[in-house]
Amino acid sequence: MFRTTITGLLAHRLRLLLTSLAIILGVGFIAGTFVLTDTIDAGFSQSFTAAADKIDVAVISKGDEDPLPPSLLAKVGSVAGVKDAQPVVSGEAPLIGKDGKTVGELVTAGVSFPSYRLDVTSGKAPASDGEALVDTSTARAQGFRIGDTVSVLDQKNVRHEFRLVGTFDVGVDQSLAARGAVAYTPATAMRMTGATGYAEIDVTTAGPSRESLRTAVAAVAGSGAKVQTGEERAADLAASNGASTDYLKVGLLMFGFVALLVAGLVIYNTFGILVAQRMRELALLRCIGATRRQVFGSIVLESAIVGLVSSILGLAAGLGMGWLAVFLLGTYQPDVEVPTGTVTLSPQTIVIGLATGLIMTVVAALLPARQATKVAPVAALRTQTEEHTFRAGVVRIIFAVLFGLAAAGLTYAGVTAKPDETALMTVMAGGVLAFFTVLILGPVLVTPLSGLAGWLPGRLFGVPGRLATENSRRNPKRSATTTIALTIGVTLMTFMAVLTATMRATADHELDSQFPADYRVAAQTGDVPHTVAEALRGHPELATVAEFREAEGKLDDEDYPIGTVTSSVLETAMRPKATSGSADGFKPGTVMIADYVAEHLKIKVGDDVRVGTAKKATPLRVVAILDSQSLLPSITVPEQFFDERFGKTDDNQILITAADGADLDKARAIVDDATQPYPAVKVTSSTEIRGQFDEAINGILSVITGLLGLAIVISLLGIANTLSLSVHERTRESALLRALGLKRGQLRGMLTVEALILGLVGALVGTVLGIVYGWAATTTISESVSFRLPVGQIALFIAASGLAGVLAAVLPARRAARTSIVGSLASD
Amino acid sequence: MTTITSVRSAVTAQGLTKVYGTGDAAVHALRGIDVGFATEAFTAIMGPSGSGKSTLMHCLAGLDSVTDGHVTIGDVEITRLNDKRLTLLRRDRVGFIFQAFNLLPTLTAEQNIRLPLQIAGRQADQALFDRVIDTVGLRDRLRHKPSQLSGGQQQRVAVARALISKPQVIFADEPTGNLDSRSGAEVLSFLRTSVRELGQTIVMVTHDPVAASYADRVVFLRDGLLVRELEQPTPQTVLDTLVALEA
Repeated sequence: MFRTTITGLLAHRLRLLLTSLAIILGVGFIAGTFVLTDTIDAGFSQSFTAAADKIDVAVISKGDEDPLPPSLLAKVGSVAGVKDAQPVVSGEAPLIGKDGKTVGELVTAGVSFPSYRLDVTSGKAPASDGEALVDTSTARAQGFRIGDTVSVLDQKNVRHEFRLVGTFDVGVDQSLAARGAVAYTPATAMRMTGATGYAEIDVTTAGPSRESLRTAVAAVAGSGAKVQTGEERAADLAASNGASTDYLKVGLLMFGFVALLVAGLVIYNTFGILVAQRMRELALLRCIGATRRQVFGSIVLESAIVGLVSSILGLAAGLGMGWLAVFLLGTYQPDVEVPTGTVTLSPQTIVIGLATGLIMTVVAALLPARQATKVAPVAALRTQTEEHTFRAGVVRIIFAVLFGLAAAGLTYAGVTAKPDETALMTVMAGGVLAFFTVLILGPVLVTPLSGLAGWLPGRLFGVPGRLATENSRRNPKRSATTTIALTIGVTLMTFMAVLTATMRATADHELDSQFPADYRVAAQTGDVPHTVAEALRGHPELATVAEFREAEGKLDDEDYPIGTVTSSVLETAMRPKATSGSADGFKPGTVMIADYVAEHLKIKVGDDVRVGTAKKATPLRVVAILDSQSLLPSITVPEQFFDERFGKTDDNQILITAADGADLDKARAIVDDATQPYPAVKVTSSTEIRGQFDEAINGILSVITGLLGLAIVISLLGIANTLSLSVHERTRESALLRALGLKRGQLRGMLTVEALILGLVGALVGTVLGIVYGWAATTTISESVSFRLPVGQIALFIAASGLAGVLAAVLPARRAARTSIVGSLASD
Repeated sequence: MTTITSVRSAVTAQGLTKVYGTGDAAVHALRGIDVGFATEAFTAIMGPSGSGKSTLMHCLAGLDSVTDGHVTIGDVEITRLNDKRLTLLRRDRVGFIFQAFNLLPTLTAEQNIRLPLQIAGRQADQALFDRVIDTVGLRDRLRHKPSQLSGGQQQRVAVARALISKPQVIFADEPTGNLDSRSGAEVLSFLRTSVRELGQTIVMVTHDPVAASYADRVVFLRDGLLVRELEQPTPQTVLDTLVALEA
């Protein structure tokens, strides 16, 4: 029996090629994920180890809030056995760019490292208080050169100038890489960042072992600090960075498993078809004495061999994919500091890759193998294979109804529930059940759907088109499994497209409906000097200048930021959204509270709450509970009340609208002029904000679409596979058609249209599921979503699926058209 | 022994040679055959297994290429045509009935019958359609799929399909090979009727003397050569000829 299986496999190796490819891609993706994250992890620990080599003992502050007191440095330095103790300072000090404004979205870091930890890429380390280094990528982006004078704001927004003496590499520190950094001498760094102490003190040994030195240093450091050896420090840092690759790993693996699921469907279908085609062969085996168990075993063994061989190839593919990803990251994202070591397959990756590939293949082949055992020995004697007529069985209908009801129930519950994560999870569970309903009902659905998808081709291509439609529905089970594989990918893509389009529309709508601001003025450092708003007022080009202010305060004795907004704006331009009550009644003696605060403190409209500072609080009447997406501060008090309690503080942000019909260039120039004296104060227009938002969303969407693309590719392999097996099965039929006068091109066209129909059916089901569940998911995000259907994108998905189906048909169709008529007619 | 019996031939072959394979493996299936098939006549091709009768039919019908010689259907020499023009010729001028697997399983009987016309984009002559359907007795089976028809009914559908497009010639390859004798007799009667009443030309390959006796004329092949022919055959004369050939 074993030998029969092997020879059978070799005889069908071409037919199994596409199946293998599906497994190879699925396993390859999963293995590739591990290869990529392992490589990054290895790179991190390498560079941390390299850094730790230079430090024998590190004294680390317990948090940014309470740094190590400067006096500790001398104490540590005088511990016996300490050769050298150097401070590390870390804080924030905004660097001013060539445009006179602070650099970047995040405040630039101000740091000081011991010279042996500072990776100077050009120039030299800072030696005096007037010298500074800028990190390499910031220097490149801003065009700073050694010898330039750079300006940095200190904590009081006072400008200081430094001579740039070099550039340095931030290495694997993700936080510094994201923010950009300027390195100073320790004293300057403390002065600029306002740090009152050190983040870390690095100690080198004069002789004693690291462990004994650690004990000695810990004795003087006291309980306010953590003392570690270099190795411990490196392990800690590597672990915290490893956590970030865990997210990457989990995210990628999810896509990998979607791909494997699709591959599983392809395998299930292929083995199903192969078993159907080998009925006579299997019956012959039964005739000559093979038991049912042996037939079952031979199919399972066949799947195991295919699974194992493909998984091994998949591991090789994964190694390649991982290497490619590392290479691409290094080449096209030089700003992202990704350390890369050598790419290797870890034993863990090999085990996981082989196990998933093998198990999935065998499990997918179990049902077809069971089917094979049902072959009656007498079937070997029948000459003509019977057409499979499909009838929806009672069991199928019952299961479909049960799953359908459960899906509908869960979805309804999720959609009508209060928007929160539970509702989203409920909807998602409903979605999974709905998918199973479709899976069960697939063979029933595919007949009418292929009629629908084949309507136009039938009209356009005449007889071949109509024959193709018939062929696509002649074996509904096979067609359903083929198309459902494509459905998975299209569903997820449509779902994401609907979700992002709706989120974008909702965000736009919120902005527009609450306060259609044209410009936003805000400072990296938090405060916009009051004078900016004053400079903005009195210009006819600007209709509204809304100042938002916040200060630390108390609400019913709990710490909360209390805020206010220019009162005239609330009367004219701004329409804050209230979940209960109304902003109309907002007047002296009242307060508006955000819904999440109200929920936490159990406050209702009409309640009196005590608002103010720790020293003095006043009862205010709650007139509105604000939607959490409101632009207003979470506790909004009238402006005058705020001034009395907290004084004329600086603004958090200023939102500005241009007057109707005003020259927008001129309006922008006024805003720019007003902020010009303050480097930290930046202007963004609402179009810029939307542009950034769109860009971010499009970026995410294209990454996800790209990753789901793998599932789509695998499902196309499935279509190609099913089609080529069908072509093989219908050799005589094709020959008959050719004998009756169907041209080669028409035969090719017929098969192409069949693939087109399969692709379209899969896409249609997928888009319907994706749209329904995209909509359902958006209702669980917030009560007021502006649902948006990305019609263009969805049409693109459908068209692409059809086109992909056509591509999948190219080879099978060519083969069918080439076959000789006489040979095929004669063949058995 | 070879003669061209009729001046008005629907199909003629001259010096028809077919060799499969090359060198030592070469099989000479046809060794230079000259034959003509009269219009509005029913001709049977007979011969022992391996005599080349099926190969002759495939070459005559343009299903297979020839090694040497000429085949003419009507006034067209098909041995010169490329695949596309050959396909069109088959579509418009030739009908086929095979031993088995004549019908597309996805189509109903009526759809199968109309298929060649639809492929050609022609309209069926409704009067002819009705006449053919009634002749083969399929009126109440038109909406059935092949799987719901008996073997005899399936072959009758195939006969109807061949007749409906009024081809210059119908090639039938063992049309009764898979049928019981009663169904076989029915199908053969229809073939003869269609020659007598509809003026159809039919060339049939068979190894069954009874089937051959339905024809107007029988030609005999042996080892790729045309060796004998019989006019107005009876089962007995056919059988005698075959026995003589085997000897």
